[in-house]
Amino acid sequence: MSLGIVQAIQNVVLTLPWPSGVRSLLVHPAGPFTIFFWAPTFKWMITIANIGDFSKPAENISANQQIAISATGIIWARYATQINPVNYNLMIVNMFMGLSGLYQLYRKSQVPKEKGGFWGK
Amino acid sequence: MTDKIIALINSPVGPKTCHFWGPVANWGFVLAGILDSNKPPEKISGRMTTVLMFYSCLFMRFALRVQPKNYLLFSCHLCNASCQAYLLTRVFRAEQERKAKAAAAGNQ
Repeated sequence: MSLGIVQAIQNVVLTLPWPSGVRSLLVHPAGPFTIFFWAPTFKWMITIANIGDFSKPAENISANQQIAISATGIIWARYATQINPVNYNLMIVNMFMGLSGLYQLYRKSQVPKEKGGFWGK
Repeated sequence: MTDKIIALINSPVGPKTCHFWGPVANWGFVLAGILDSNKPPEKISGRMTTVLMFYSCLFMRFALRVQPKNYLLFSCHLCNASCQAYLLTRVFRAEQERKAKAAAAGNQ
């Protein structure tokens, strides 16, 4: 199913007089008109959402979800260095995601037993 | 039989490598979502759930456009997007009930 909307928008944008450096970025096969750019870029939102959740009381955070976030972040950060070509963008976003998850898990570990402890009620 | 198992274990995309555990880690989101579906909805972070849903939608498209197509990644993110969407409905429903109760209590 290809509606061609993004292609149409890209064609319109490319009619403008961009400098050659910017133009080569706009037509890049992993550039801003492709999913290969936006999917990994959007992954930063997970880290940002997690940092936003630092202010939530630790009892209301899901330990399961934070374990998944930390594990995904750490494993994919390593994965990004093992593929060819090495993808530093992927490595950095996953590193920060893993670190934010680990900090949340630390906060969960400080929840006293009366409030549910690490795993919650 | 054991030869095949050993060959699988030692394969360059097998469980000794991160190429295996990467996609496995993504299924962790689905597992966490399923485990959380029985918890009280106040414990669900609406912010994080929304972000995870859109993240999985984007990666569903990514998995089908990457060369070679990665149906395992696609299925993982399809499950995660559905799971997070379900958790969001729980959050919305709990929010509606809370507002209805607050309105009812205010009217008394």
